[in-house]
Amino acid sequence: MALALNSFAENAVALQETAAPAGNGGPMIERGAAAALGIGLAAIGAGYAERAIGASVVGALAEDSISPGIGILLTVLPETLVIFALVALFVGP
Amino acid sequence: MSTGASNPEYVNARVRSRRAAMLSDEDYRKLIRMGPSEIARFMEETEYEQEINALGTRFSGVDLIEYALNRNLAKHFDDLLEWSEGQLYDRIVRYLRKFDVWNLKTIVRGIYTDSDPEEISTDLIRAGELDDGTIDRLIEVDSIEDVIEILDGTIFAEQLEDAYEAFEESGALVPLENALDRAFYENLLEDLGRPREGPEAKYVEFLEAEIDFLNARNALRLARSGADLDPAAYYIDGGVLFDESDLNRLVGDYDALVDHIAENKRYGDRLSEALDRLRDADSLIQFEHALDAALLEYADTLSSVYPTSISPVLSFVLAKEREVENIRAIARGREVGLDENEIEEELVIL
Repeated sequence: MALALNSFAENAVALQETAAPAGNGGPMIERGAAAALGIGLAAIGAGYAERAIGASVVGALAEDSISPGIGILLTVLPETLVIFALVALFVGP
Repeated sequence: MSTGASNPEYVNARVRSRRAAMLSDEDYRKLIRMGPSEIARFMEETEYEQEINALGTRFSGVDLIEYALNRNLAKHFDDLLEWSEGQLYDRIVRYLRKFDVWNLKTIVRGIYTDSDPEEISTDLIRAGELDDGTIDRLIEVDSIEDVIEILDGTIFAEQLEDAYEAFEESGALVPLENALDRAFYENLLEDLGRPREGPEAKYVEFLEAEIDFLNARNALRLARSGADLDPAAYYIDGGVLFDESDLNRLVGDYDALVDHIAENKRYGDRLSEALDRLRDADSLIQFEHALDAALLEYADTLSSVYPTSISPVLSFVLAKEREVENIRAIARGREVGLDENEIEEELVIL
């Protein structure tokens, strides 16, 4: 979900680039603001994914069947999507 | 019905971990060679430790094992209800009410035979929806009428009230017990509808299978015993295998009954081996075990297909019940001196 949101945000930036010269005035969303939007949406997606993983991890920890380290690692895995989303901030001029 | 979001992730993680900690085939093989006191000792080293220790001073031998198993079962299923929320709770409690039925039957029988409340209490499996306070009140009352009064507002009330007149006329407990069963099974599928696909549909299919197998079991028993009982009195509505007229027609003809089960698309393949055995040998027990194993295997498959539905919980509930039944069978078997092969026949192992 986060990935989908992320690519959606990037598409929006790409669309603006092609559309901007035709219209008069600037783009509807400034470049930086679009990247921020993308990152924010990606973070929401990651949070949603972590909700379920976190719940499972707490369950498994309560039964003593995994170590806390593994639990934390699994919980923050979707966080990598937010890091990918940061790419939107740095690419392009 | 409870509202709010359900939390299958949390419950399933806990349930799966408990499922993994259950006894393996190896353990059963070891247990078969032990006597009752050795089994109790063995259980003390597994997750039954707490129950064995709590009951160890009061009971011994097979009784100790039996009560410890019941308590452990109740503990696990109570936990399930405690963890789950929202729709998930609703689904689980629907199924676990079968222990309410068991408890109510035990209580009614206990009152009928004027048993000591203490004695009734040890035979209960406090796993269902009724809370401890209600059950304690039920144990203490003196008449069946009071039981029905206390149950007012539960799903059992209406059916029990109807059955009470029949009970007063005949003086037999059968109408009351049938009413309890019926209230449970009719409530099982109520307001679930008939979804076509996804985990919902499989959940309904599973419950239907449960009802079908119960009907099949009753029908086979009736056909086998040849007793002149009205099959309709034992028929539970909601399955897909029989309707009421099928049942009335087939109970008279044993072979036709077996054929009817074999021809069913949903179960025919899955039970083919067991059905063959049922035709050749006269082993009804083997067939019933095959039904149990088929249901268990089915629940296991579902829990891999739909990991975030109620399926893993169902699979755990069934597996736990099997485990308890198996240990009980071994302990009772050893007590009466069955040999190892005979006991192994009694076990349901996947």
